[in-house]
Amino acid sequence: MSTQPEKIAIRIDHDKCTECRMCYVVCREINLNAVVIDPGPNHLHEIDMGRCTYPGCTVCLMYCPAPASIVEVVSGLSLVPPPAQMWTQDKRWPRRAPRAGN
Amino acid sequence: MELHPILQEFLDTWVYPTGFSGPGYDFRMHITQRCIPAWNGMTISAVKAAQEDAKTPTREWLWSSVLAGYAGEGPQMSIKQMSTQLLSVSLEDQERYIDLQRMRAQQVWDEVKHGMLHADVLLRGGYVKREEDLMDNADANTLGILSYFGCTAMFPHIHPLARAAQHYFFEGSACLGIQVRMRCMNDSLDLHDNLSQYHEELMHFMEGKYQMDVYALTEKDQRAIEDTLDFLLKPWAPTLADALARAKQGAAA
Repeated sequence: MSTQPEKIAIRIDHDKCTECRMCYVVCREINLNAVVIDPGPNHLHEIDMGRCTYPGCTVCLMYCPAPASIVEVVSGLSLVPPPAQMWTQDKRWPRRAPRAGN
Repeated sequence: MELHPILQEFLDTWVYPTGFSGPGYDFRMHITQRCIPAWNGMTISAVKAAQEDAKTPTREWLWSSVLAGYAGEGPQMSIKQMSTQLLSVSLEDQERYIDLQRMRAQQVWDEVKHGMLHADVLLRGGYVKREEDLMDNADANTLGILSYFGCTAMFPHIHPLARAAQHYFFEGSACLGIQVRMRCMNDSLDLHDNLSQYHEELMHFMEGKYQMDVYALTEKDQRAIEDTLDFLLKPWAPTLADALARAKQGAAA
């Protein structure tokens, strides 16, 4: 049985984010749709932690061009540019089917 | 080949990280290998130019470089070049490339804004009193570069993904050039001209990276990108005069 890593809350730092929407586009591409548009007047992008599977999925971090604009909520760890351990083979899409017995 | 440290850092930080496996990423790594020698040479040249500019007591270099930026990213060129890219996606292809269309629509504004930033530098530097003063200046309105901001950008690409080569190679070059200026220069106006665009240039590079990782999955799709890169890497491609001379030589032969 495969084990999913425990979810860790992440957020967009709007002081750093340039609202380029790459995170929105890439999250939509893999059908997670965890990046959502805030209904407020500025249409800011936010991360819906009900859908986001970080650190299981890190794909949005790979295409974000604004340093430190996505961070872990509790630790404050900056995820852009992505640390090397964030783009290992098991975090990439398409997901490989789990092997029998795993 | 020994890579310049600025290029090595760019590769490790922004190029190699990926969210996808498969033929798109493999293809992008192949394209990256083709880009690296050009990126490295460009970085080394940019460092030399920046060091020369830093030693120059006047800001004459700023006038010419910002004027060229204004010509390439003014409203006319920006709207024309990006609208041709938007039109490369047919109605039948819209379902697949809807996000690319939105990104390119946004890039119209990004490029127009860059033109505005160049004008801001010229105004702050006292080169012109009003932006309107640039309208009669040929250098502010023409650019003899074939690719990206030049003539080829004015014609629709035959494939929606052809633009990925320009996004990847040219925007990558722009990111490296900006990094060089930011690290080698200590001039407030030059810093403003470069820093104010850096994140957007990097975003457009990411767009090229994303297009290859996600969409360039078949030989046909990859061919469109590779053909464009073949052109961009031709040593005569950057200048219109050289290209026309080559074309005349070819016709005469």
